[in-house]
Amino acid sequence: MSTVLEKFKKYRKPGYYDKFDYHWTMSIDLDRCTGCEACVVACQAENNLPIVGEQQFAMRREMKWIRIERYWEGEYPNIKLQFIPMLCQQCDQAPCEIACPVFATYHNQDGLNTQVYNRCIGTRTCAVYCPYEVRFFNWFTYEWDEPLEQQLNPDVTVREKGVMEKCTFCIQRIRQAKDAAKDDGRRRVRDGEVTPACVQSCPTEAMVFGDLNDPDSRVSKMARNPRGYHVLEELNTTPSIVYLKRVHTDG
Amino acid sequence: MSNKINRRDFLKFVGAGTIGAGAGFLAADVSKMSTEFLIPQVNLPEDYSPGIATWYNTVCTLCSAGCGISVRIREGRAKKIEGNRSHPVNQGKLCAVGQAGLNVLYNPDRIKTPLLRDGERGSGSFRPIGWDEALTTISGVLGTLKIQKKANNAYLLSGAVSGHLNDLFALFMDQLGSQNYLQHEFSYPASLYAANKACFDEDVLPYYDIRNSKYLLSFGADYLGAWLSPVHHGVSYGHLRQGTGQRGRCVQIEPRMSLSGANADEWIAARPGSEGMLALAMAHSIVEQGLYAGADAGDWQQALAAYSPASVAGPSGISAARIVRIATEFAAASPSLAIGGGAAGASTNGTANLVAVNVLNFIGGNIGEAGGILFNPASTFSIDAPRPRAGYQEMLKLFASLSGDDAEVLILHDTNPVFTLPSSANVAAAVMAVPYVIGMSSFMDETMALADIILPLDTYLEVWGDSIPDPGVGFAVASIAQPVVKRLYDTRSAGDIILALAHQIGGELPANMPWTSMENYIMEMWRAVYQGKSNDSSDHGFRKFWLSILESGVWGERSPQQARPRQAMSQAMLSAVHMTQPSFAGNESEYRFVMQPYLSLAFQDGRGANLPWLQELPDPLTSVVYNSWVELNPKTAAELAIHEGDVLLIESTVGSLEAPAFIYQAIRPDVVAMPIGQGHGNYGRYASGRGSNPIEILAPETDIDSGGLAWSATRVKISKTGRRVHVIKTDGTTRDLGRNILGPGHGHA
Repeated sequence: MSTVLEKFKKYRKPGYYDKFDYHWTMSIDLDRCTGCEACVVACQAENNLPIVGEQQFAMRREMKWIRIERYWEGEYPNIKLQFIPMLCQQCDQAPCEIACPVFATYHNQDGLNTQVYNRCIGTRTCAVYCPYEVRFFNWFTYEWDEPLEQQLNPDVTVREKGVMEKCTFCIQRIRQAKDAAKDDGRRRVRDGEVTPACVQSCPTEAMVFGDLNDPDSRVSKMARNPRGYHVLEELNTTPSIVYLKRVHTDG
Repeated sequence: MSNKINRRDFLKFVGAGTIGAGAGFLAADVSKMSTEFLIPQVNLPEDYSPGIATWYNTVCTLCSAGCGISVRIREGRAKKIEGNRSHPVNQGKLCAVGQAGLNVLYNPDRIKTPLLRDGERGSGSFRPIGWDEALTTISGVLGTLKIQKKANNAYLLSGAVSGHLNDLFALFMDQLGSQNYLQHEFSYPASLYAANKACFDEDVLPYYDIRNSKYLLSFGADYLGAWLSPVHHGVSYGHLRQGTGQRGRCVQIEPRMSLSGANADEWIAARPGSEGMLALAMAHSIVEQGLYAGADAGDWQQALAAYSPASVAGPSGISAARIVRIATEFAAASPSLAIGGGAAGASTNGTANLVAVNVLNFIGGNIGEAGGILFNPASTFSIDAPRPRAGYQEMLKLFASLSGDDAEVLILHDTNPVFTLPSSANVAAAVMAVPYVIGMSSFMDETMALADIILPLDTYLEVWGDSIPDPGVGFAVASIAQPVVKRLYDTRSAGDIILALAHQIGGELPANMPWTSMENYIMEMWRAVYQGKSNDSSDHGFRKFWLSILESGVWGERSPQQARPRQAMSQAMLSAVHMTQPSFAGNESEYRFVMQPYLSLAFQDGRGANLPWLQELPDPLTSVVYNSWVELNPKTAAELAIHEGDVLLIESTVGSLEAPAFIYQAIRPDVVAMPIGQGHGNYGRYASGRGSNPIEILAPETDIDSGGLAWSATRVKISKTGRRVHVIKTDGTTRDLGRNILGPGHGHA
């Protein structure tokens, strides 16, 4: 156990990931987000998320790597509703990573929490440790009614029973962009070359994705916005998602 | 075909894969790609390479907005739909419904072959037949009518189609000798068209420039949810909020908070039907304060005299001070924009309400201004026949003729009026009264089940076509649709069916409709557009143009805004302004609540309910999935001792239904609301037998000016049935409770 902790401490040294090329980050401007849920379906299509069915949904076993949460304030008629998209925060100090007994979830060199499906033994501890509730467990091997399986994205694994899964920041798109950059003889991916499915679909451009190590990237500029904050910041998970607080005017 | 393939050929095929990616004209080659051979890739299409995606541009027709889409194809299969970046309507973005289009294409419940009725009419029992038999039978029936000079007894009722398919339908019916071609869509805003006709003498909707506005005042129009062109509005909204240094303000006036209401800075729960009075009171206040610049301020003062904020406060439930404050803000902000729609346009005084909103825009000086109302130019396409869209009154007239003795044949194309019209319209009975009913659809539904013969249609991802977005974007735009995958089943496009029928019916039809296929027809029509615009009659020039528009998926032409004489417009508006009190079916003492059915973001008028991704998509405002619900104010619920999940009986003067209660925080206590979309009886495995359809129990009230269905003019009473169900939703605690989830210092317990 002690060796594990030592190893962990070594890797968790602040600034460790600055040595690497990328620190993928997403900013979500809550002043733009309308809660229209385009991102939810975009993610479903891109990442081969199954339809769990009414009965399983009723047991809270839905598979949605990104969801829209709602928060009410006040009482009728002075009532306000606000939306916030919730997805894996790709924490730098991720509680899920220390939980996994088999290192199925680990931190990769780009600062992503990655989930290795064929290492996962399904203890579900990571989901318990996650304060954002964005990890989803395959209680069954879900089927696609023929011919819906023809839509499945060949770049993304179809998971089976007993495996935990979650948002990957569309790692397949990151890989493709890196490969394309390599083919072009470039060392780095240019800003804007990677857009996860949710970011791509967002009508209001509430979401911006990019590399925080590049101070000139769009997302770095967004992250410096004074409205920026992390959800549940006090837990010191240092998320890779920066939310921009909604602007409130009285009325 | 030779099955021999040597290494050099193989490398050549793989190498060719990157060439021409995105050039849409090759889609037909891809679609002919055979999968039946052991080595299907011997004759590899030029743009096809294993492992590398190809993108084709086409147009989304899942609602009327007409967004351009790019479809990602891998190994001949559609994998992902994204917005077309060069399309001015959606600018690369797409809504939840558009993304779920793959569920339409690969839906397991698609009709796969032509079907012939096999049993009693309406029993839903069909047997498969071949296309030859189906087309011969139908052309025989229609040909006989034509010869007997009784073709005017044939009717074509279509869902919303624009562009050349609309032209083809119109031409076919005309050539057949019938005047009876109509389009039906539940969400067709008849009152909005009527109001704009009355105020501006416009037949097409203007462009609401939300993007550049600084103050957006919406009277019931859920512009971010289901009103007109939600993706375009979403793009504009993002810009309005954070696109410039000066953040635009949004105010929403509606009895039940919609998605747009939730995003507004201020939500005002006015009484249903009082929206127009509020708009006139605001105009009154602006004129009174001397903020209206026109020389005819006196005329307006007189015309608006009856609508002082004080006198409107009572009927609307909004205080005079608040009306004046909003009016002052509206006049001070520059540019500002008022829009109206949704329930405001679906009251018995719907057109009057929307005329009043136009008046407010006029008084606020927003007409013809960037950030206000801009007019779409007259279509610059030589084609684009007017669309014969029917309001509720015209539909009733149609059903009366269908029930009469003369009606012989009804052709239904991609429309489900049995579901989307109130039960009091007796749609099913009218359809059953027609001796011969032909259905054209990709899916079995409540209306198609009544047909004698059903022709299975390609989905929108398998067809040639074009569409003209309505509303436009301030300049002339057309989108080109092309097949992005090989068709999955033995289906055909509506255009190909119409052309095949024309050829088989004979007479002068083949000469007047000489096209061999829909692809050929679309291409020839675009050749005419090209030649008209360019004076270039060479085939080479057209080919180049055609390839470029297929590749980009869109073609447009910017034209300058025409200035409108202010005085004449003022006169027209002065004579158009009028107001009547809204009326509701059912007396208030017995039927306590005004029923507000609303278009579901995912299902729209119910057509999306057979898509599994949308069934499992939480409703944005309640997070409920898989069922219907009826929304009640917490106070109302407490008073009647109703809790979430209590199954309620909802009765109007014409019918009743059951639905579980959902306590909704932002709805007037005297209003109940229900989403439209569920309640299908026969619409595939994902939709059938879920929830209930609020359209069914709507009273047959209409907007007096436009004849559109006043779907917000029905009163209901509610009672508990004693049963309870579990309302399936994703939400847990919907209060922040000091967790600062929405940002530091934001959350209140």
